[in-house]
Amino acid sequence: MNGVLAEAAWPERGDGPPPPLPGFVHSAFHPLVAAAAERCLRRAYGQRPAPDGARIAVVLVSAAGDRASAAHVRATVAAGGRPGPLFFFQSVPNSVAGHVAARWGLGGPVVCLAPTGDPRAAGLAEAELLLHDGDADRALLVLIDDAPDDGGAETAVAVLLGEETHEDQGTAWPARRRRADRRR
Amino acid sequence: MAERGPVQLTGVHTISALGRGTGAQLAGVLAGVPAFRPVSRFDTGARRVDAAATLPDAGALGNELAEAIDAACRDAALSTGQRRESALLLAVQGGPGVPALAAGLATRAGLGGPTRAYTTACVSASSAVADAAALIRRGDLDRAVVAAGYLVEPDQYALFDAGRALATDAAVRPFSAGRTGLLLGDGVAAVVLESAAVARRPVAALLGWARTGDAYHPCRPDPTGHGLARAVAAALRRAELPPEAVGYVNANATGTGHSDAAEAAALRAALGPAAAHTPVSSTKALHGHALEASGLLELVVTVLALRHGKLPVNAGWLGPDPQCPLDVIRDAPRPATTRYALSLNAAFGGANTALLVGAA
Repeated sequence: MNGVLAEAAWPERGDGPPPPLPGFVHSAFHPLVAAAAERCLRRAYGQRPAPDGARIAVVLVSAAGDRASAAHVRATVAAGGRPGPLFFFQSVPNSVAGHVAARWGLGGPVVCLAPTGDPRAAGLAEAELLLHDGDADRALLVLIDDAPDDGGAETAVAVLLGEETHEDQGTAWPARRRRADRRR
Repeated sequence: MAERGPVQLTGVHTISALGRGTGAQLAGVLAGVPAFRPVSRFDTGARRVDAAATLPDAGALGNELAEAIDAACRDAALSTGQRRESALLLAVQGGPGVPALAAGLATRAGLGGPTRAYTTACVSASSAVADAAALIRRGDLDRAVVAAGYLVEPDQYALFDAGRALATDAAVRPFSAGRTGLLLGDGVAAVVLESAAVARRPVAALLGWARTGDAYHPCRPDPTGHGLARAVAAALRRAELPPEAVGYVNANATGTGHSDAAEAAALRAALGPAAAHTPVSSTKALHGHALEASGLLELVVTVLALRHGKLPVNAGWLGPDPQCPLDVIRDAPRPATTRYALSLNAAFGGANTALLVGAA
């Protein structure tokens, strides 16, 4: 039965801005995704790469994508200018998903969604479909809200979903403990 | 509900620079004349390249999507009640308006099932097709509409220009020596997928599908093609077909040096000896790269060609590239020799998809 194997957020208590992400500029969108994913996967696996990464999917859920970069590109183009070449690579959410996948050796599907309802429910539904359909055994779900309606802080939450295996039980932090720590 | 037989494609509609409707797409790809022209839709004075494949009378994206969805539903002869039970899976460029666009299109078309929106770059549409098929096979749904759209606009054009991704000689030359890059093209498409239990007018069967990741780089493809090869192999396994059964591959090939070479390596790895004599072309050389919509436009074109029994040429060919040792269709359309074809797509993030169709 599939469940939550590890979960993390950025920011958590005591966090400042996410660490800069080489190759990505101008916006907190990509560093937030990478920081939450990194923390979640470290809680699950301790160190890179994930030993079972070949069949782990990355599902990134974002209502509006990287709004700050899109606005910058739009203004630059409207003024007759040329956007910097890095904006080409970061203009789609796939790029940061691919960054996480490459760093951790995650070879499952890469899927980015704009939720039409509750973002977590949309992401869970997609992850469960990929697991059921057989293209992945686990899924890293990343939910990002980079412009909250209430004006609150930008946040990203990462959740590793799948079945707990014998290997997981041998790690220092069993899944239940990892979840308990997150709630503290 | 128990899992059921092959998912059927029962309604199709698409527009591109080749024209409006399926007849125009088929005629256009078989004529083999690329649709690239200087861009008149917006100013390209500050860009290095001035060429794209645009439909002169294209309307607003939302309206074109609504018309495509309605046309595909009419093609599948869906009743009002059947529409009410249908899901909508939409593939478009990400942005603040996407959830509202999806909801609005579903309402406008009378589609009352679940709605999903895919913003996963150039595999958005093909991922949506795979997911629709998976939802039907799992028994969640009996029918789903997949719609996708991209109309060439100044922001993405400027980004691709800045990234030096656009062809500098106004031509897309997939797998060919001398290729210099891709060119963008309009594409809006919609298809109806139905379970075998309820499909009455199958156009084609979606027999296999798969999605994989390269785990290699944020935006460069794995030069070994390993991820895409896994997608092709998984689609074949799902369809229970050997590589020799594949009679055509509509390749992702964008006309980009390293990307086309990686795809050639993937096809050699996944198809084995059969790759040497499996006909391959990339119809992007004719209608351009429709980004988020590319997977659906190319799937429809593949199905139309397969049903017609003629496989479109790989336009722009200058000569063989030793890094792309494939049986590329050159000079003239080639007769189809089997009922089965693959449509491949790849995207930034190392995302890959393979869709395997069989002519009805």
